[in-house]
Amino acid sequence: MADVTITRWGERFSSPVVLASGPAGFGLELVGNIDLSRIGALTTKTVTPKARAGNPQPRLVDCPAGALNSIGLDNPGLVAFREQILPRLAELPTQLFVSLTASTAEAVGHLVAQLSELPALRTIELNLSCPNVSGGVIGADEDLVRAYARAARAAFEGVLLAKLPGDAGNLLVSVGAALDAGADGVTLINSLRGMRIDWQAGRPFLKSVFGGLSGPAILPIALARVYEVRRAFPQAVIVGTGGVVNLGSLVEMLMAGADLVGIGFGLMADPQVGCRLSVELARWLDERGMQSVNEIFGVAQGGGLGVHRSS
Amino acid sequence: MGRREKANRSATRSGSPFSWVEGRVVRRERSARYARVALEGEQLPTSVGAGQFILLRYGEDPCLPRAFSVMSVGEGGLELFVKSEGRVREKLSACPIGTPFEVRGPYGAPYATKISMDRSYVLVAGGSGVAPMLCFAQQHPNLAVIGVYGFRTADACDLHPNVPLVIEEVTGLSATDRLRSVWEPGLGILACGPDAMLRILAETYRDQPDVYVSLEARVGCGIGTCLGCRVATVDGPKRICAEGPLFAIEELPWLT
Repeated sequence: MADVTITRWGERFSSPVVLASGPAGFGLELVGNIDLSRIGALTTKTVTPKARAGNPQPRLVDCPAGALNSIGLDNPGLVAFREQILPRLAELPTQLFVSLTASTAEAVGHLVAQLSELPALRTIELNLSCPNVSGGVIGADEDLVRAYARAARAAFEGVLLAKLPGDAGNLLVSVGAALDAGADGVTLINSLRGMRIDWQAGRPFLKSVFGGLSGPAILPIALARVYEVRRAFPQAVIVGTGGVVNLGSLVEMLMAGADLVGIGFGLMADPQVGCRLSVELARWLDERGMQSVNEIFGVAQGGGLGVHRSS
Repeated sequence: MGRREKANRSATRSGSPFSWVEGRVVRRERSARYARVALEGEQLPTSVGAGQFILLRYGEDPCLPRAFSVMSVGEGGLELFVKSEGRVREKLSACPIGTPFEVRGPYGAPYATKISMDRSYVLVAGGSGVAPMLCFAQQHPNLAVIGVYGFRTADACDLHPNVPLVIEEVTGLSATDRLRSVWEPGLGILACGPDAMLRILAETYRDQPDVYVSLEARVGCGIGTCLGCRVATVDGPKRICAEGPLFAIEELPWLT
């Protein structure tokens, strides 16, 4: 069977498939029910300094080829996460990415500092792109991205990822700012800000009006963002996220230049999607006579399958 | 772990909450707006408590699966009662017999694990909310004294020939209107239906003991992780797909 393991930052991932922040919760419900050892990493819900109740119902509405959510960073806050949840995640048979955010760069530095000594915490994903909180998208502002990444970097020696928006600001500039400030990689993209209206009632479907669009509808946008960032930053580690729900879209994301591939909406639809796609990827590589997933990374940048990556 | 939590866990794990299994449409009766749909499949859950629901999808549907309360459960089969509108529901209502769907579940806590078991209840439903109530009446006949099942139009009568329904276009009465004439102090209430119905019910019976409403929301994952269905309660946020769907009226002060 072809090898789907990959190594980045000296860390081994059993598969390029990462469960994206949000739909996996904190992973506790998944333990014992899905084979997490087949999944490269699990990303937690975003943790904030204080508990957040999230947005009122309705929080979720169907869209053609996807869904719009306005969960609103519903989470138990730093203390409950550190004391009650993180200890239970120490023995996960997969890599753990902990998603964090705060309302200022200083607060994010403080948040990271209160977690950084814990051995279970080896990778932090800074959520700089939630479309469901007031006050604008951090990732759209180069200076804020730099400030947040610097603050986190100063407090943490492990792997630091910055999750950036696909629909706000100049993404290439924001990626550059995050990497300059010490981020080890970027997660691209978050869900895209949108809305739906109940046209029979004349009201927005979501109580908070706007939400984040995810699902197959956003795959082409995510692919374009990953592709252009890979081209501009050949050495950056990219977690490509957005609209991946099946083998074809997973392979597309890898070919666009993602090192790891996040799955969010796809997990909501099918809890087994991560395991299934890891197996299907290995089988597909086998069928094509390839030894390793490394043979398809970024091939769409350089002439297609069978042509060695110039970088 | 309390008695109710134990019962919930046992019932929830009787099916396949984390994996899709096949269920084929084997029987169906339709009216103008509704359909009774029987699904069969070797791996379908055989233990479903009244009030629990399944998620259902077909083919390479690019949308989230749809939640359906179970109306009855038997060896190798489930029966649903669906309104014939929306992508999945239209498909269920109109597809050829034998069409395979994918099913996972059951999810949520059975009503019986959330209510006081030493009281008799009036079961109140609006539209497709009748499904979990008929399931409850079947599983707990000793607790259900009367059913008040409201529909706007008479076509649903064809699908429930042996169940008295309250048809608004015929009687001018809604389910909550009829409830006023059958409820008496000492009886509890279990209700499932549109928001407007639940709000009227909350307004009228908030001060009575053992009044419960089954909440609906667009459920995302079903397994309790995405928090798409989480609602505020007096004891903090709770998930409709895990701690719900049934809540005591006093847990929901916002329902007015």
